[in-house]
Amino acid sequence: MTTEKLRRFLAAHGNSQTFLEQEVKGLLRELGIAVPSGVFIPAGEPVPLLLSLSFPLAAKAAVPGVASKSDIGGVRLGIRDAAELSVAVAELEKIPVAAGVLVEEMARPGMEVIVGGAVDPQFGPIVMFGLGGLFVELFRDVAFAMAPLDRRAARRLVESTKGAVVLRGYRGKPPVDMESLLSVVVAVSELIGSGFIEEIDLNPVELYPDGALVVDAKMKRRSQESW
Amino acid sequence: MNSLDCLFKPRSLALIGASADEKRLGGVVLRNLRAFRGKFYPVNPNYTEIDEVPVYASIRDLPETVDLSVILRPAPEVPELLAAHAGKARCAIIVSAGFAETGCESLQQEVVRLGRELGIRLLGPNCLGVFAPYQRLDTLFLPRERLKRPKKGNVAVVSQSGALLLCLLETLAVSGRGVSLGVNYGNAADIDAADIYDYLAEDLETGVVISYLESMADGRRFVAAAEKLAQRKPLLILKAGKGESGQRAAYSHTGRLAGKYEVFSSIMRQSGIREVRDLDELLDAGHALARQRPSRGNRICIVTNAGGLGVLAVDECARHGIEITPLPEAIRQRLHNCFPPFYSVANPIDLTGQVKDDEYLATLNEIQDEYDGFLVIAHTGVVGLTLRLAELLTVFRAASGKPLVAYLAPGGITDQLAKRLEKGEIPVYPSPERAVRGLSSLMNYGQGPCK
Repeated sequence: MTTEKLRRFLAAHGNSQTFLEQEVKGLLRELGIAVPSGVFIPAGEPVPLLLSLSFPLAAKAAVPGVASKSDIGGVRLGIRDAAELSVAVAELEKIPVAAGVLVEEMARPGMEVIVGGAVDPQFGPIVMFGLGGLFVELFRDVAFAMAPLDRRAARRLVESTKGAVVLRGYRGKPPVDMESLLSVVVAVSELIGSGFIEEIDLNPVELYPDGALVVDAKMKRRSQESW
Repeated sequence: MNSLDCLFKPRSLALIGASADEKRLGGVVLRNLRAFRGKFYPVNPNYTEIDEVPVYASIRDLPETVDLSVILRPAPEVPELLAAHAGKARCAIIVSAGFAETGCESLQQEVVRLGRELGIRLLGPNCLGVFAPYQRLDTLFLPRERLKRPKKGNVAVVSQSGALLLCLLETLAVSGRGVSLGVNYGNAADIDAADIYDYLAEDLETGVVISYLESMADGRRFVAAAEKLAQRKPLLILKAGKGESGQRAAYSHTGRLAGKYEVFSSIMRQSGIREVRDLDELLDAGHALARQRPSRGNRICIVTNAGGLGVLAVDECARHGIEITPLPEAIRQRLHNCFPPFYSVANPIDLTGQVKDDEYLATLNEIQDEYDGFLVIAHTGVVGLTLRLAELLTVFRAASGKPLVAYLAPGGITDQLAKRLEKGEIPVYPSPERAVRGLSSLMNYGQGPCK
């Protein structure tokens, strides 16, 4: 299923090596993974008057191939009204080679995690899970497993991180929706496990007591020569 | 699966490159192989006999097909020599160096291709081969006066590095411990760690496997074999190269974080395969597992006569996630009633410098049902302790069937006591911390992914 949808997605995107955020999110949505409601505004086109989105909004420049949008000043958060939105879109469109701007509803704060995939020289396609923010940056508290994973193996992956204990609820916070998280992990494991993808990052994924939301996503195609 | 019996339990073997000169490798190995249990055929076109043993000019001249051939000739000669093995050998150890490890990939590929074509499984190249005391098979090119060989035992030592194999064998031999098998597989051009694990999973003489690993060609096949082996008997892995970076400049966060070692270690943990940190831990844990059955539980009690040594042990337990649960009140009360008031009845239980042999036993008997394992610490300089303590502990351990290891402080009657404890299957360690690490390898066993 996942591989079939991925094949169609890759065929539809011709020769591109990396994909724009909204393209990856479109694929995720098809796979049943929740992403924020959003609208893509191609470069040069006006901001639609009646956006079916509720403020506050986030606006992100769609720049092919860059590793980090925030490094090139391509992200505006907490946009409160239409006036702020047109300023933000106008600024972001000035970034060279920006293909447009992705406008999305701001995600409500939850618990941030990262779910990713890569190809390891010894183990082939692997999935990574880690708690977001400081846990990943400072403590490198991440775990890896061989893709693809079933739900049981996905749970084992998640629970093998030191930080997993906070997912079960701590200091009065409710536990996160583990089932939704596992669906994300399994989907990523199937994408990377297909052999068609070189790297994928869902970072961050916000976890809530009632669901999981992929806030940012990027993906790179595996070049034919590396097979 | 192909059985590797022809490699590890051969009935007949040939040595290609046998020499009469004991200063040459071919001479050393010839001497070491004289004790071999089966038929032995030295091969070298320059001799007709060495010390009254007939020598064959070529493997083609042997009167039978041998199980194993040991090739000890320079790398460039190996393809031609191997080609002559057609129909004459079931497997071969290529000891010679000078293949992929020095950049000669194509020479190695040629040898692998030949092996496949002739149906001959290959160990090596660039390896020391096999030490199998039950078969008296010893292909190590070090004379016995330079490297002690361990006696027969139940520990298999599997090493990618030759030096590490030697180091482990010598250490085991010196401390009087035995092995079922020692193997160095070098470049792993054909037979690799996974093949050897498959074999050891079925090997009746092997109870514990300790393995030194640098890299593997096929991680998935390795994990499958290691998981299967670890389900049957304890497997301890020491992985070198922890700092190696895996990914090239990566597009994603995941790619940057996926270090080669981090990925390996994470997968091992989720597969429930035990990884040890260093050489000491590999030996200490192997020592404990060779002597005693591991426990599924994780609660231990420390019985000592020296407070400070007990505290160091407690600290180390914390680092390994071992629980030092408090004594139940009823037991505490009973022990308190039968001991002098200055004994500290908690966990650790401190029997102080006034302790007598029997009080260790009385204590252990009282607590044995409450705990899954025991660490006995003794300063043996005190007058109340005698060699009888070894007997008491041995009998207690055998009857309880639970893990028990010891640390004896230096001095006093420690050396003699340690010998007797070891004889009684109780491992004795050179520091309280190492005793805890040894004990920890016996705890929490088979509980799936480790902490």
